[in-house]
Amino acid sequence: MPERTIEDRLREEYFDLLPEIRRVVWQLEAEIRFLTLPILHDLEAHEQLLVKSRVKDCESALKTIARDAGTRDEDRRSEGRKFDPERPADYSILNLPDLAGVRVLVFPNSRLIEVDESLRSRFEHWTSKPVKDDSGSILAPKYHGYCEGARTKVRGEYQIVPMLLGLFWEVEHSAMYKFRAVANSKEMRDRRADVERALSRFEAGIGSFTRGKK
Amino acid sequence: MEKSDILWEAHYRYNFDRDLYVNESAKKAFSLEFVDDHPKEELRQRILENTDGREWKFYFNFPPSDGVRRELEKDLESVRG
Repeated sequence: MPERTIEDRLREEYFDLLPEIRRVVWQLEAEIRFLTLPILHDLEAHEQLLVKSRVKDCESALKTIARDAGTRDEDRRSEGRKFDPERPADYSILNLPDLAGVRVLVFPNSRLIEVDESLRSRFEHWTSKPVKDDSGSILAPKYHGYCEGARTKVRGEYQIVPMLLGLFWEVEHSAMYKFRAVANSKEMRDRRADVERALSRFEAGIGSFTRGKK
Repeated sequence: MEKSDILWEAHYRYNFDRDLYVNESAKKAFSLEFVDDHPKEELRQRILENTDGREWKFYFNFPPSDGVRRELEKDLESVRG
């Protein structure tokens, strides 16, 4: 009988945890929808707020662990994306902070700050790890932590994203999913940064144009 | 010329599972991070670097552990057939 690999063990761990991951994503989405309801009702015709959720799929979880784990350095990637068979204890599905994820897409940016503030008191103990571009500028606030009352070791993550940027990321992610590595190369990161800068400027421009219009 | 073009011309092909640029006949592999972090000239020198071709040579920012090296070699050898 072939020996069980680290991947086999992680897949088993993932499917054991899946009901809990689903529970966390439901709770997180429900809480975020509830807490942003007053903002939703207050939106002007040109403004938008969308709440989306997803459970990270098993193979994507494994890829992330192979890429990020085992280096003992948060910012260092594990080159070769291979699990070290001599260090099986370094790898666990529970190391991932984004198994249960919610994304709030907001337009314009002034609403983004409002949404961020409305959620902070409920999730005040969650760890902040904003999405940044290569120059270190914050593109979107992002937090992860444990849902209150959920009685699980699975963490949830939510991020609040300017709408155009979020929609671009969705398209880019589905178009480049299979070629994630190429998408993460320096050349493609530079091109992505160009698009992100252009979208941010466009969003800021629209935001200042519509400011004060009720 | 982009780094990916330099590697392509030297017959390195991208391994999407491992994020490596691999030349199977030369038995050499560059990690994505190594390629990102080193200038084109150094990349050209490493491509030209002579190895005996008996063992795989990995160009990584941080050398792989023995365990990871063995796993990678197993993977790359199975692709070579």
